[in-house]
Amino acid sequence: MARRISRRLGAAVAASAVLLTACSGGGGSAGGDAAGGGGLVIGATSAPDTLLPWKATQFQAVNVLEQLYGTLTELDADLEVVPGLAESWEVSEDGTTITMALRQGVTFSDGSAFDADDVTASLDRIRDEATGAVAAASLASVTAVEAPDPATVVLTLSGPDAGLLAALASVNLAMLPSDATEQALADTPNGTGPFTFAQRIPNQSITLEANPEYWGGAPALPTLEFRVIPDETSIVSALQSGNVGFAVFDDPLVAQSAEASGTTVTETPQLSYHVLQLNARQAPLDDLDVRLAIQCAIDRQQVLDTAALGEGEVTGPITSPAYRSDPAARPCPQRDVEAARRHLAAAGHAGGLTLSTIVSQGEYATSVNEATNIQAQLAEAGITLNIEVLESGAYVDRWVAADFQTAVALNGGRPDPDGMYGRYFTSTGNLNDVAGYTSPELDALFAQGKATSDPAARKEIYQQVSRHLEDNAAWVWLFTSFTYTATAPEVTGFTPMANGSLKYLRETSVGGS
Amino acid sequence: MTTLVATGLPAAATRRGLLRRTLASRSGAVGAVLVGVIVLAALAAALGLLPHDPLAQAPADRLSGPSGAHWFGTDQFGRDVFARSAAGAAASLLIAVVAVAIATVAGTTAGVAAAFFGGWSDRSVLGVTNVLFAFPPLLLALALASAFTRTWLTVAIAIAVVYTPIFVRVARGPVLSLREADFVRATTVLGFSPLRTLARHVLPNIAPIVIVQITLSLSWAVLTEASLSFLGLGTPPPAPSLGAMVLEARVLATVAWWTMAAPGAVIVALVVGLNLLGDGLRDALDPRNGGTR
Amino acid sequence: MIARHPLLRRLLEALLTLLGVAVLVFVMLRAIPGDQVTATLGTEAAALTPAQRAALEAYYGLDQPLPVQFLSWLGAVVTGNLGASQRTGQSVLEMTAAALPVTLELAVLSLVIGLVLGVAAAMLSASRPNSARDAAGQAVGLAGLSVPAFLLGSALLALSARFAGYNPNAERFASLTTDPGLHLQQLLMPAVVLGFGLAAPIMRTARSALLEVRSQDYVRTARGKGVGPRRLALRHVLPGALVPIVTMTGLQFGYLLGGAVVVEQIFSVPGIGRQVLLGIQQKEYAVVQSTVLVIALTFVLVNLATDLLYRVIDPRVRAS
Repeated sequence: MARRISRRLGAAVAASAVLLTACSGGGGSAGGDAAGGGGLVIGATSAPDTLLPWKATQFQAVNVLEQLYGTLTELDADLEVVPGLAESWEVSEDGTTITMALRQGVTFSDGSAFDADDVTASLDRIRDEATGAVAAASLASVTAVEAPDPATVVLTLSGPDAGLLAALASVNLAMLPSDATEQALADTPNGTGPFTFAQRIPNQSITLEANPEYWGGAPALPTLEFRVIPDETSIVSALQSGNVGFAVFDDPLVAQSAEASGTTVTETPQLSYHVLQLNARQAPLDDLDVRLAIQCAIDRQQVLDTAALGEGEVTGPITSPAYRSDPAARPCPQRDVEAARRHLAAAGHAGGLTLSTIVSQGEYATSVNEATNIQAQLAEAGITLNIEVLESGAYVDRWVAADFQTAVALNGGRPDPDGMYGRYFTSTGNLNDVAGYTSPELDALFAQGKATSDPAARKEIYQQVSRHLEDNAAWVWLFTSFTYTATAPEVTGFTPMANGSLKYLRETSVGGS
Repeated sequence: MTTLVATGLPAAATRRGLLRRTLASRSGAVGAVLVGVIVLAALAAALGLLPHDPLAQAPADRLSGPSGAHWFGTDQFGRDVFARSAAGAAASLLIAVVAVAIATVAGTTAGVAAAFFGGWSDRSVLGVTNVLFAFPPLLLALALASAFTRTWLTVAIAIAVVYTPIFVRVARGPVLSLREADFVRATTVLGFSPLRTLARHVLPNIAPIVIVQITLSLSWAVLTEASLSFLGLGTPPPAPSLGAMVLEARVLATVAWWTMAAPGAVIVALVVGLNLLGDGLRDALDPRNGGTR
Repeated sequence: MIARHPLLRRLLEALLTLLGVAVLVFVMLRAIPGDQVTATLGTEAAALTPAQRAALEAYYGLDQPLPVQFLSWLGAVVTGNLGASQRTGQSVLEMTAAALPVTLELAVLSLVIGLVLGVAAAMLSASRPNSARDAAGQAVGLAGLSVPAFLLGSALLALSARFAGYNPNAERFASLTTDPGLHLQQLLMPAVVLGFGLAAPIMRTARSALLEVRSQDYVRTARGKGVGPRRLALRHVLPGALVPIVTMTGLQFGYLLGGAVVVEQIFSVPGIGRQVLLGIQQKEYAVVQSTVLVIALTFVLVNLATDLLYRVIDPRVRAS
């Protein structure tokens, strides 16, 4: 009785399985090409949270928007400033006027022409507080923007600002059409970038098409799809089965598992840095000896090795290649537990000290392991570190309010040191509360750095900034890590960048073309 | 299915017989062994009696397979997987036991009180239970776990809230019928205080069903905690937790199968053991098998 | 005070329950740290000036006092406006109308697989209790109960993608109307994973119910009369065991609505569980609140339907 039933059952299940797999032949491939007709499918764990360039901070949003929109300047693979929508520029003698000559014949994706009016409108609206643009502070030195003719824009500054041109390369300062409203752009992006907006399925995928009118030459990829696969391991599976051709990971283990199956994985050092932030405005961290004790008690290479499997480099404050800090330029270049104990004693804590730290969970792979290792190392120097693991919402709340003694953080870096640290370590910087440290010397150095245009002189100034930060142990900088770009074998022409930008998708192609 | 009895019997006699009867049944015995082994390992981990420290990292030995030195191999940081699994089992058991204990006490009290006293207390308890039942359980646990600073206790409380309604229902049903039973009416006539009636006559009668429900809920609680950890909302790291271990090991599945197999096997063994134990208990408590009578 | 008519009373209870759910989810969401501003900007929120923050809070409607926020949301819901996602501008009604059917389909498919596996295994077990066959059936049932969906799902996907190159879920999700073949394939693995987990409690309930029915007098009579074993099983034993099986199925359906979230996550299925999870992560209050209400409503409706089904299949219940 039961036997006959189960036999029939087995037959039915087998038959329907065959039927279903047969059906797959028609519509989209169940396990085949990475895209149809030479296009590329990128796997991402979440969808862009906004399509407005001026408000985008999430890296998935930035990755999509930099394909759609253009900026006045751009960065090349070495993070040097190169022309973008501004073909050339001239900085006046005193550095307070920048005259930019705009590229001719550029159009937005809806066909309207790009000219100086769009530039003035965009820059003015970004500077307007009501817009809520996240990079408004980058234009703090700009007092006026004028368009003497449709092909020229003149920026008047309150003082020389050597970091401005690099800052203008950010998609947060993208050029939008002068007559566009936020509403319209949120529905249908309209930019001057190498790709145009084709389709969007909320929280599932966003598809772009090559822009044949792009001033840099039409991209080789006819279509570009950012597909949401919420789980990183599932993205690896998608790479292995050939459904996805491109993905970016920050977890070395995930990258290793992707590599194991024939996908090409390229590792690129990043500008972002892992750091133990110290709140020097709160006792006991307001005492320099305590901060130096912490600095001397930590072996940064050990943190890197245990938390991130050695995938990265020990670093000082400044991470961009042109201005890179010397990681050994600090009071304790190597771990020195004796020195740490001496500093603690000098601060009056010979019997030991207890501190707390906040660390986020789920934001990036190594956060908690870093905290655990730091805790173990500090314990050997007589410092007890209590770890508070917080879910990302709670962590951000505390971080933003500077409600912590110390914080294990991964902060983004920028190519220009003024852009990177000006907002943290100057007394007027909008992130100074979070940084927890200022000094008149730093203020003076930053002002000098902004005003100097000679690259060699600037490098010298920022080395002094870096030295000052380390000598005063404002924070304990740990290491920079890699980003891993996984591509299917037939994907060529992509160059990863140290700031995480996917700009070179415009030169990428699929298949032997 | 459970027949009601007027328990004039001293409880101790039935308890000893209960244990023997449970172990006599095949499922009960297997379940008890499985759970016993895991509990022993977990205790050893909690008391630090294991040969390896679950948190000690040894990068030189990373990703080595099961061997004499490391029974379940090592993970990506060189930590001993057996020690971590045992510690993870301890964490899961702790959370499950605390969660079910809270749910049992809260749920049974509310259910018994609601049924016994009736009226608006019954209606309000039922109302709250309906609300909690209408809420998708995993999402409820998820939301609760996200709401507060995550410690093992808040995770346990979140799971307790999800399973309390079941105990309310399990306890309330029989008590409703019990209330009408002659011997209970008799105690009211005799002037016994409600508390005494509840303690001596009502609770012992619902005890069997509640006990079975406890073992079932324990197994669900272990699974829920593992699922929460998998979604990143369980016991915060670096304390080992079985679900989090499976989550981390997914990436290593093809390179080091033991990192996923070990915690997975422990989860399965624990849940199977608890269920079998529950089956054995149910058989032992069924009057047809010579249970409470 | 309370309506006498049983149906009206059930409806009133259902409404009160839904109101309770609304309050509960509203309060819980507000208790979770972070709000929509920090969810979208992350640590960059520190760089906002107070004026910018106030502007963003007004934009997201976070500046109103809590009772006002609750009542305005509830008022809108009653008129059919479930709110909208701040990120995408989509109305929650639209999002739910797309996501709920997907999860319902998944639930139905899983239940079918679970019922088929579970009832078949139960009949196998119950046909000869306490034999090797029975033990095997019970072992399978136990395994299904104890292997967590996330473990089974991860393993299945990893093996299928790596060694068979078969990964329909890595394609964009196809709807039933545009590409039924791909759509069903995308639901197949998740349904198998969920169904395997369901088969277990169904099997156990069915087995004990079947055993109990088999020992009933009317079945013994039928067997004594010479009714063949297959007819006996299907016509006499199974119907008697239906009530507990239906109860268990109804219960599992409710759990599936929320419990499918893990499987939806692993297999990238855009169902209702994922909608709530994403909403919680993105602090989209309107999305979470309204979606949870819809799930609760569905659950309540399913309960009502199960009750009605009882009255149909079990005449003894009709009398009560």
